[in-house]
Amino acid sequence: MVNELRSLLNETSDNPPYAAFDAAAVLRSGRSRVRRRRAAVIGATGLAATVVVGSTLALDGFRSPPDLASAGVPTPAGTVLRLADATPAVEGDDYRVLTTYTNEDLDSDNGQYLDGLTDDGLVLFRDAPDAQDRTNRLALMDPATGEKDWLPAPPESLEQIRPVDLGTDRLLWSTMHYEGDGGELRGDLRLLTFDRQSREWSTMSWPGLPRLEFPSAQLGPDGRLYVGVPATQGKPPPGGWPIQPGGDAEDADAQGDSHDLWSVSLTDPDDVRDEGVRFGDLAFTDESMVWTDRTNGDSGLVHVRDLATGEETEFDPQSGEKCNLLAFGATDDRIVLGQYCGTYEDGVRDDRVQVLSTTGEQVVTIQDSDIDGSLGSGGEPGLVRVRAFQRGSEGYYVYDLSDDSFVRVSESVSKWELGGAAPAGHVMWDTSANRGNGATQVLAEWQD
Amino acid sequence: MKPADEMAFVEFAQSTQPRLRRAAYLLCGDWDRAADHVQEGLIRVYVAWPKMRRSGGEHAYARKAVVSAFLDSARKRSSTEYATEADASVATGEDVAEAVTARRALVVALEKLPPRQRACVVLRYFEDLDVAATAAALGCSQGTVKSQTSRALDSLRSMFDESPTGELVILNEGTSSW
Repeated sequence: MVNELRSLLNETSDNPPYAAFDAAAVLRSGRSRVRRRRAAVIGATGLAATVVVGSTLALDGFRSPPDLASAGVPTPAGTVLRLADATPAVEGDDYRVLTTYTNEDLDSDNGQYLDGLTDDGLVLFRDAPDAQDRTNRLALMDPATGEKDWLPAPPESLEQIRPVDLGTDRLLWSTMHYEGDGGELRGDLRLLTFDRQSREWSTMSWPGLPRLEFPSAQLGPDGRLYVGVPATQGKPPPGGWPIQPGGDAEDADAQGDSHDLWSVSLTDPDDVRDEGVRFGDLAFTDESMVWTDRTNGDSGLVHVRDLATGEETEFDPQSGEKCNLLAFGATDDRIVLGQYCGTYEDGVRDDRVQVLSTTGEQVVTIQDSDIDGSLGSGGEPGLVRVRAFQRGSEGYYVYDLSDDSFVRVSESVSKWELGGAAPAGHVMWDTSANRGNGATQVLAEWQD
Repeated sequence: MKPADEMAFVEFAQSTQPRLRRAAYLLCGDWDRAADHVQEGLIRVYVAWPKMRRSGGEHAYARKAVVSAFLDSARKRSSTEYATEADASVATGEDVAEAVTARRALVVALEKLPPRQRACVVLRYFEDLDVAATAAALGCSQGTVKSQTSRALDSLRSMFDESPTGELVILNEGTSSW
């Protein structure tokens, strides 16, 4: 017998037992919450701020280019750039396209993706699970010829895999393993390693490491894997979230979440260490470990630890009063913070990408409505990638930390979050394809 | 809220709650708890109603609110509860034992999925939302929706394969019935 999922879902729920809808009870409770909400301070919420970006777009569509000043959006301290300050990038002069890949219809099913670039210049190509084949297949692709070297099947199902390090000798991914009957939200972190010389897979886990919801892990300069174990979670204000026109929660100036920093050895499963640091977001440069107090809300202070001496400094990043930290990165002597800082008149958003020095000086803030941004690649040059959804200004933009140039590299963005780890001097972006149903990924090398 | 707005809200709630209740049932596997999730979701809609109605986002918000109520409830539950006996209401009016068995198998299989994976399946294949809209409703990235959906479908398929119910397949994407 063959059972079709959609039909089965519909048939299963198509015959509910009779139950009268108690509109009066909903009205009573609703009125009560409105009264409480009016008395509450407008502000924080536990809703993930990244969702606000997505749902705002989903509900409102793309708006005309906004006037931030007229809408009452505050101007950050220091040098400020708007999307209009960017110049069009010139292919060949500013960047060289190494390869592109188009998925025509990601709405219907999963596709194939460029997941990153190895240190020796090969593209990590992933054929994701789809209706025909429920497994992830991985290959290393020569960007010049498109030729793919398919890796042997890994020892276990690759779900929620995230590249950790794409080296010349080995490829590392973090993944999750769930025990039991699947009713839990947290699982065990696992590290998958592919030895490029022997072409063999190995798996590592750490029994002493607390369980996680997501396989978020990064490799430190000391060769240990650093992991954030959820510690505190911001709460919405009493009475619920303030609501924007369009129905989305206004969560600017949220309380934010924090994690406890743990590290593990890549060779000894019993070598698990609680680092004694509570943080929001964390990043490494070659010389320092940089972190914030919280993420997905008010970032708090920025802390910088010199890895050679152990000396620590901290400073207030002077972000706006309502800014939620959404993205965080560091390279060389620069720190990059992606932020959502509130919605103002006519739905104009205060979105920022703030660049600081590791000693706390303001370098630049890219501020506009309906943008997001993060460190696209570290090393030399460090490249900040900004994505803009505004009508007329839609596209990807790149801010070069080495010479402070700001250019626009595309005139559309896909609605998909694609791409992966790009080593120094490279950047990835994705444009809309097939009337928005698909996406084209672009991998480019930045030119000096 | 002005009386006229309140009347419009009640009209909206009455018209939309049957569909919300079905989605909530697929999420939690229990009609009584489904009614609770729908009520909580509609209360959240009421709070947002005056501003929300003008921009036409009420259906999406209501769906999001019910899913959110379900996930909040799932987080608070000390253990995952599985339905161990058939819900008589599912079989009401049916005389095809095979079909009833398949529906029951689906309810049991859904309940064995983690809450977010279950929500991905219901939003993608019952509500026919695309990945972007599902991500917005769940408050996670599109990549997470894809991986969670993929993992969920894998689990559902193997649960069906291992049962006498037969194979589980997914036909082409349809359009939203909202």
